[in-house]
Amino acid sequence: MKNADIIVVGAGHAGIEAAMASAGLGLSTLLITTNLDRIGYMSCNPSIGGLAKGHMVRELDILGGHMGFAADQTCIQYKRLNSSKGPAVRGTRVQNDKKLYNQHMTQLLNSQPNLKVVRGDVKALILRNQVCCGVETQDGSRLFSTSVIITAGTFLNGVMHVGLQQSPGGRVGDQASVGLSDQLKENGFVVRRLKTGTPPRLLKESIDWSKTTAQYGDESFFPFSLKSSRQFRLPQVACYLSRTNEQTHEIIRRNLDKSPMYCGIIEGTGPRYCPSIEDKISRFADRDSHQTFLEPEGLDSDLIYLQGISTSLPEEIQYEFLKTIPGLENVVMARPGYAVEYDFIEPTQIWHTLETRTIQNLFLAGQINGTSGYEEAASQGFIAGVNAAFKILNKNQFILGRDQAYMGVLIDDLVTKGTREPYRMFTSRAEHRLVLREDNALDRLSLVSESLDLLASDSLEIMQDLSARRTQQKEYLKQTKIFPTQVVQAELVARGLVEMSKSLTLEEFLRRTDVNPSLLSELGFAIDSDPLVSEAVEIDVKYMGYVKRQHELILQAKKFEDLLLPQNFDYKTVKGLSNEEIDKLSSVLPRTLGQAQRISGVNPSAIQAIMVFLKSSYSKEPHRARLSSPAGVPVQLAPRDLV
Amino acid sequence: MNYGGDRDSATICAVSTPAGFGGISVIRLSGANTLKIVRQVFKNLPPSPESHKAFLGQVLDPTSGLALDQVVVTYFAKDRSYTGDETIEISCHGNPLICDQIMKALVDSGASTAMPGEFTYRAFMNQKLDLVQAESVLSLIESRSHKSANLAYRQLMGGLSQKIESIENQMTWCLAHIEASIDFSTEGLETTSQNELIVKLSQSNAEIDEILKSYQKGRLVRDGIQIALLGQPNVGKSSLLNLLLDYDRSIVSNIAGTTRDVVSDETIFEGQRLIFLDTAGIRTHSHDEIESLGIKRSFEESKRADRIFYIFDLSLGLSEEDQKWLSTLDSNKVTLIGNKMDLISSVKLDETLKYIHSKAAARQLRVIFTSTVDKNSREELLKHVVSQLVSERSSDNEVLLANSRHYECLKQASALIQQAVDSLIEGTGAEFVSLELKSALMRLQDMLGKRFDDQVMDRVFKEFCVGK
Repeated sequence: MKNADIIVVGAGHAGIEAAMASAGLGLSTLLITTNLDRIGYMSCNPSIGGLAKGHMVRELDILGGHMGFAADQTCIQYKRLNSSKGPAVRGTRVQNDKKLYNQHMTQLLNSQPNLKVVRGDVKALILRNQVCCGVETQDGSRLFSTSVIITAGTFLNGVMHVGLQQSPGGRVGDQASVGLSDQLKENGFVVRRLKTGTPPRLLKESIDWSKTTAQYGDESFFPFSLKSSRQFRLPQVACYLSRTNEQTHEIIRRNLDKSPMYCGIIEGTGPRYCPSIEDKISRFADRDSHQTFLEPEGLDSDLIYLQGISTSLPEEIQYEFLKTIPGLENVVMARPGYAVEYDFIEPTQIWHTLETRTIQNLFLAGQINGTSGYEEAASQGFIAGVNAAFKILNKNQFILGRDQAYMGVLIDDLVTKGTREPYRMFTSRAEHRLVLREDNALDRLSLVSESLDLLASDSLEIMQDLSARRTQQKEYLKQTKIFPTQVVQAELVARGLVEMSKSLTLEEFLRRTDVNPSLLSELGFAIDSDPLVSEAVEIDVKYMGYVKRQHELILQAKKFEDLLLPQNFDYKTVKGLSNEEIDKLSSVLPRTLGQAQRISGVNPSAIQAIMVFLKSSYSKEPHRARLSSPAGVPVQLAPRDLV
Repeated sequence: MNYGGDRDSATICAVSTPAGFGGISVIRLSGANTLKIVRQVFKNLPPSPESHKAFLGQVLDPTSGLALDQVVVTYFAKDRSYTGDETIEISCHGNPLICDQIMKALVDSGASTAMPGEFTYRAFMNQKLDLVQAESVLSLIESRSHKSANLAYRQLMGGLSQKIESIENQMTWCLAHIEASIDFSTEGLETTSQNELIVKLSQSNAEIDEILKSYQKGRLVRDGIQIALLGQPNVGKSSLLNLLLDYDRSIVSNIAGTTRDVVSDETIFEGQRLIFLDTAGIRTHSHDEIESLGIKRSFEESKRADRIFYIFDLSLGLSEEDQKWLSTLDSNKVTLIGNKMDLISSVKLDETLKYIHSKAAARQLRVIFTSTVDKNSREELLKHVVSQLVSERSSDNEVLLANSRHYECLKQASALIQQAVDSLIEGTGAEFVSLELKSALMRLQDMLGKRFDDQVMDRVFKEFCVGK
């Protein structure tokens, strides 16, 4: 007797998206969490978005995910990043009210049909013949389902460190999850350890704000979600900037031996680009000062999050160095900074659908796959939820391409390359960066979204409307001409712009760097007043040449991207591969030659060897790839339209 | 051509020395079954032969057991050989018939005949050589002069590759910093300043330009300088050619129009190869059909020459026709040569010389006076040409570009780097600069063969001969 179609273990950012997706597609879903009060709790920085991360949140929103809207609703500061740089590398970042975010998500889950949220501490999976069919909790209950999605975050065998004191736990206030990763290990999974750190939380009233510099957010709001209004719902707050100094550094240096990271007590690998303050002092020894932002955790919260100063030094030492920071002379910590060590599953052991390769109907999403960040987790949760549901509904696999979305880049990177440190998304990871922009997430994914049918009808309407208007605007620009009449030339000259030399279509005219939609509007042309339409179209037009070149570059670099590799290819039979390459290829079993190229440690000469081997093996031209599931059933890729 | 594929498992063999009779010929085998195959025809190999050791013995026909030749077999272990695979070289007596028999014996024992360049292809595949080095093997084999051989050798030793790799590293550094400026802009780090990037990239481009500039010279060193001899009939072209070639060659006779066809021949001067194109005499009014064909050809030939010697008879002076033909030639390439200096009386000489000089100066031509009976003329003439085109200042360690494929790659890379620099100056946006730099880097990698491209492979290795 089944308890649900799908069980989701863990109600963090990944778990929420997984559960909502699965329930949204009509499958009965059971979400189990150890703490009902901490649904969608932000363990670390009370913020969502950032470069590349914000991109994923937007993509998720278009596809029918929920993080974006929640972030907008609880936004207390908004910033547009890299606004002075090109459109492909601009990002969105918001600060949130933690408590309200948590409340929003709790309410969301509770009002979702097909979804039940219960308290429970999962200790093992129920497996039958390499198929997962349920979970067992610490109190002995057995819950059955068709599939299970594990989204346990940093909780698997989680150990927290403050100075030389250790205690089990996934984060402060939450117990560790014991049993699951050991069971996976017993079933042949490679399980490794990672670490991550978090800064101290300070009491608001104990800070001397006069010694810090206020930093305000932007005034115009470009929300993540389609259905969010452009008005801020909540009052906006400032963050405050301060800096460490030589004194601070000196104290930390003196006490490095008390930091568990440096004594070798913590075995896990930490993220290079999110270093603790101990890391910063050691690796960037020539810097005499590091900046830090004091971020409010909520509108009526007492707590201040000290961004940039994650640490696991003993509490007394933390006090000592904090007091040297301007504004914190008399600070009181609500909670010291600490490090947490946890298990993760090497992600080369899962497919692009996030189902594990060795156990059927078991899906893994979030930090358990070695990622860091709420946005990375949410993206995976969504994809796992959709795929788990689709599998039951006997629908095609849902896999996004690297040229369609950052979400696609994320999964492909994890599944193909694996990871040794907490994986975080950067724009530089995407070779299709110029095409994967915030402004065109809509155009890239609207068709996919429609076929998924998860998007609420109000969002769907907005999306379709925007999409249609953009198409219309593009057509108009293509068809309409502008002539170098006296009037037009005069207008240009009056604005200090270069005159036209011949008549052009509006599209060609817009390609000029000094021409923008508002100019066209002033010249009397029918330009959509909504910047969500006109700006997006403008960027598209201006980028066209570059996008083409980028595409050519990618084609050249990935000449054999789509070449299908046989499913059970024995790499030992290919001449010219080193032992290391044979090992890597055999364990990842890339679907295409393009994926093989991306495996680290596989050299171009190996690709050459494989390619030539294939060429001679197939007498006719190997057909271009359509993905096939492990069972060999050809699968249709989500429709792609390069903008 | 299908290099690789199931060929990868084949043990290939070929005669690696030039065809013909000589003291020794060498047959080379390479591949996984080398030892196994050779043991079937040669019994004097110990159970585990030491690498680089030579063994004397007989090659036997595997079916009849008859001895084909007494040979020396040299064994090279895997990873210690030219190709990287286990290799054996059989040195036999230099008779093509014997080579054939031994080849047949090997093929009957399981070897496959090698394709052109296949040994070097395997060396490349086993990462013993990069593509530039592989190409230099071919150049080295085909060198016709000391300078050319030296150039190819330096390239084989990695001289050019090293230069390119150091430029590659510089550019990768810049690319990394540009990416950091995009992805870490919010961290409060002072990433490299715009200016530093512009300076570094301009530097890389300047280095590439230096190498590109050397192409003209490199090509001449590798392929030789082509010189066309033009002039009216009977001005002494043939005897001058003999002098330049340093031996008696063309038919020399007083009958105008004796050397009918274009003849090419070459000499080496101070290590530099020079190729001469001898032509029929030029006459405006020719009724002889064969001759007019020769005349046309000679003009066509002269277009592709690196230098033109326009020869006239000093004793007859520079005629109207001479001047007419001179005006049709590219004066940058022309050296005016007044021949038969010995036939002018010394009285007339000064006057004549002055007159010619002024005429030459008017056309900005260099003029040299020669006499084919004076051996010093050769040295003077050839020194003039070599110093003009391939300046003597070149040191023996200089790295020159000599290959048109390399030239193309570098030219494209240079243009892309310039675009990146321009973008940086204009402030166009880091993501575009990144795109341009990536494209430039790809061109450099193409040059070194670091990215797989089977068309490139084919193009490179097809030019080899079998056995290389």
